[in-house]
Amino acid sequence: MSARRIFLALVLVVLAPACAQASNVKSVNMGKGVQVWFQEDHTLPIISMTVALPAGSGYDPANKPGLAAFASAMLDEGAGPYSSEAYQSALSERGIRLSAQPDRDWMTVTLVTLKENAKDAFRLLGVALSKPHFDSDAVARVRAQMLASLQQDEEDPSSVAAKGFYTRFFAGHPYGHPIDGNAGSVAAITRDDLRNFAREHWVRGGMHVAVSGDVDTATLKALLASAFRTLPQTAPPAIPPLRRMGAPGTQIIPMPVPQPNIVFALPALPRKDRDFIPLYVANYILGGGGFSSRLTTEVREKRGLTYDVSTSVNTLTRAGFFAGTAATKAGSVQETIKVIRNTINDFAKNGPTQKELDDAKTYLTGSFPLAFTSNVGITGQLNAFQDAGLPISYLDKRDGLINAVTIDDIRRVTNRVFAKGNLTIVVAGSPQAAAKPAIRPLPGADKPTTPPQPVKPVTAQKKPPAAPAPRTVPPAPSTPQKASPKH
Amino acid sequence: MPIARVFKFAVSAAAAAFLFAAPAPAQENHVFQFALQNGMQVVVVPDHRAPVVTQMLWFRVGGVDDPPGLSGLAHFFEHMMFRGTATVKNDQFAQTVARNGGQSNAFTTHDYTAFYEQIAKDRLSTVMNLEADRMANLDLSDSNVNTERNVVLEERRMRVDNDPQALMREQMDAALDLSHPYGRPVVGWPDEIRHIGRKEAQDFYNHHYAPNNAILIVAGDVTREEVRAAASAAYDKVPARELSPRAEYSQPPRLGETRLSIFRPDVKVPLFMRFYRVVSYTEARPGEAEALETLAQLLGGDPTSTLYRELVVKRRLATNAGASYDGYARDNGTFAVYAIPRPGVRLDQLEHAVDQILAGYAKNPPATADLKRAKTQLVADAMYQRDNQFSLASAYGQALAIGLTTDDVDTWPDRVRAVTPAAVRDAAAKDLIKREAVSGWLQPGTPR
Repeated sequence: MSARRIFLALVLVVLAPACAQASNVKSVNMGKGVQVWFQEDHTLPIISMTVALPAGSGYDPANKPGLAAFASAMLDEGAGPYSSEAYQSALSERGIRLSAQPDRDWMTVTLVTLKENAKDAFRLLGVALSKPHFDSDAVARVRAQMLASLQQDEEDPSSVAAKGFYTRFFAGHPYGHPIDGNAGSVAAITRDDLRNFAREHWVRGGMHVAVSGDVDTATLKALLASAFRTLPQTAPPAIPPLRRMGAPGTQIIPMPVPQPNIVFALPALPRKDRDFIPLYVANYILGGGGFSSRLTTEVREKRGLTYDVSTSVNTLTRAGFFAGTAATKAGSVQETIKVIRNTINDFAKNGPTQKELDDAKTYLTGSFPLAFTSNVGITGQLNAFQDAGLPISYLDKRDGLINAVTIDDIRRVTNRVFAKGNLTIVVAGSPQAAAKPAIRPLPGADKPTTPPQPVKPVTAQKKPPAAPAPRTVPPAPSTPQKASPKH
Repeated sequence: MPIARVFKFAVSAAAAAFLFAAPAPAQENHVFQFALQNGMQVVVVPDHRAPVVTQMLWFRVGGVDDPPGLSGLAHFFEHMMFRGTATVKNDQFAQTVARNGGQSNAFTTHDYTAFYEQIAKDRLSTVMNLEADRMANLDLSDSNVNTERNVVLEERRMRVDNDPQALMREQMDAALDLSHPYGRPVVGWPDEIRHIGRKEAQDFYNHHYAPNNAILIVAGDVTREEVRAAASAAYDKVPARELSPRAEYSQPPRLGETRLSIFRPDVKVPLFMRFYRVVSYTEARPGEAEALETLAQLLGGDPTSTLYRELVVKRRLATNAGASYDGYARDNGTFAVYAIPRPGVRLDQLEHAVDQILAGYAKNPPATADLKRAKTQLVADAMYQRDNQFSLASAYGQALAIGLTTDDVDTWPDRVRAVTPAAVRDAAAKDLIKREAVSGWLQPGTPR
């Protein structure tokens, strides 16, 4: 293999490829207040739909954390004329895939069906959303599953660290409690709680919908009507504003594990801030870019301290924050935190190089089409844009916004976000040679919940919790693949 | 990257009818194959929905090829493939792919190691040149090896040592295979990982990484002709090499069941799990593996399955229960059942209840409606799998890497539809034999 040839190939192709996928996405009218984005594609006889309803854990009453998640786990447990078993059989007999995943703002429902079963699939979803039973048998069963899942989370330092982080970072706000609640709250949630929550939150006000696949617009309109026509037009009261976020300092949650998990975070910018895109680009350079990021270079490639260190900019309706995770053996926790701090501080002080900025742009724009290669991927990506409140025209504008970012923009945004460097750090595990908890755990810190990355679907609790699949699961990707949607 | 999932997406009987009745969608079953002069096999899977391609390079080498005392070498070596060549130094491989808007990664199993990139279609030659370069010109240095060894130990801690259920699976795998290297973890035993050095990695590279040991899959917005031209230009220069022949392992029948009872202080939720050593797709008589696949779906594929309905819904003994079949292996496959007890339910009660259900399947063929539902799901999943370039490319790559053909992938839905009730009963009666199994209990407590 000629070395020179390869070198030329690398140099010649730095410009990002043009992408045209956005132009195929159109808006479908489904009445006021409901956004529907649709990409028609007849390659495969499949239709995928992602629906977000204003039913995330941010709406949980203060004394009932876990209510939204409990309700979403009940979505396939019986509705209208169907018992729980009959409903699940109706899906199963048609090979329909239905899941509901609560996060802090939204309950995200994903429906995947073969075209020939589309009528039944959309109708079944409509029944589930508008006429849920919350039968006591099913409620008891799902409650037991949630409690077991909460217990199992306590074995897992990444879960404990993430829950501890949210508790600390969003103390006093509904974003702070675990999405799945805690043992006490889940035990106390009643059928009436669930019924009232669904009535108030499984509604069309604030709902948005993304569809991709083998259907035409007219047919889709009829399908959408069958799924959503009977839902109330109302919208729930908004999630309360956030007064403050972040709690600088390090909290250690002791656990007997060989590899403690670290979460580190800073308050950042809301999605609507005009510096958000520069922040998104900055995060790619600092820690979002997999092998290309500064943190991966410093923590993994140079020092071998971790298998995965990565960061993301997260946008909730009421908050924007920067968060990262790393895991390292007990004896290296302090060194790892030090390297992370130094890397962030250096970036805040000196900003990126022009090459780093150029490379970030070609990746972030060039990889955009990768999100549009499957029906399921498309609806997930479109829904993420809708969650952020972006208009459909954003699809065409996005690459231009990224390409317009300058070094000055990055410096401005790092000043706003990273310069103070008051990291909130939570460690789950027992670092060796580390002092006793530097900070007294906040109330509730011992009842942790959810990673900064997307949370596991609650419906998945019915599937293998940790799939027993023995040797087929290759223990190996060189770095975990992140499926988080692009901004 | 759980490859199992690739095959565990599933469809319906109505779906089945549709597939026969309607003309196949333009791209379906249009898979092209050819070979380069240096022996590299090439498969092209056109999918023109987005201007994107997925390149996967599958090597017929994996954990089974780890030398004695060096478990984890194949996986460790996969990591080293990202550590630079004479001209694409250090981490420039991944950097270059990213700079071109692409994503890259790799995974290792007992039977194979796969590397992949997903990228805009006009960058296909770039990623082919990069793969060709590291197939021939890898530059292993002591310092890179030493750092990466620590990365791999951290990976092992994350995937296994931090997770009591993963530790249990590792121990059960080790107990299941009496002498076959399937019993060694792909990631390696920690103290053996520590023995891997530059020289061992270099030897491994010399003997296993060559075009005549590789399968190239290109899925996406490409034609056969484009791939042929690009692959020739990039890979023809890499000469074939003499390979270390792969050892052919065989195992004695197991003469008795193995039981593992694990107590650990880090366990919060008890677990019963059993692994059976069963035939794989490569070993099975026609229809036998498909019957096992169908049995797994019936027993424990979703909330309508027997284990879930009986143990979780009706008898309230478990919070969760399921089953799975992993038949995509060069040698034996594995069938797993598991159940998580409700508080207050003992593991022996739960295991007894699972055994009663299994005995029912061994005695009576499944009801027609249940069998139909299970097949519908499996066939639907095969269709949903086609929605994803990566999982579709993986299905073909995995099949070829273990000795199956692209036809085996394409005809799988038909073969599942052909499974009879009697075949499912026979699979339960003849393949799920306790002496060919390891039963495990995981419980909170002090190790005894």
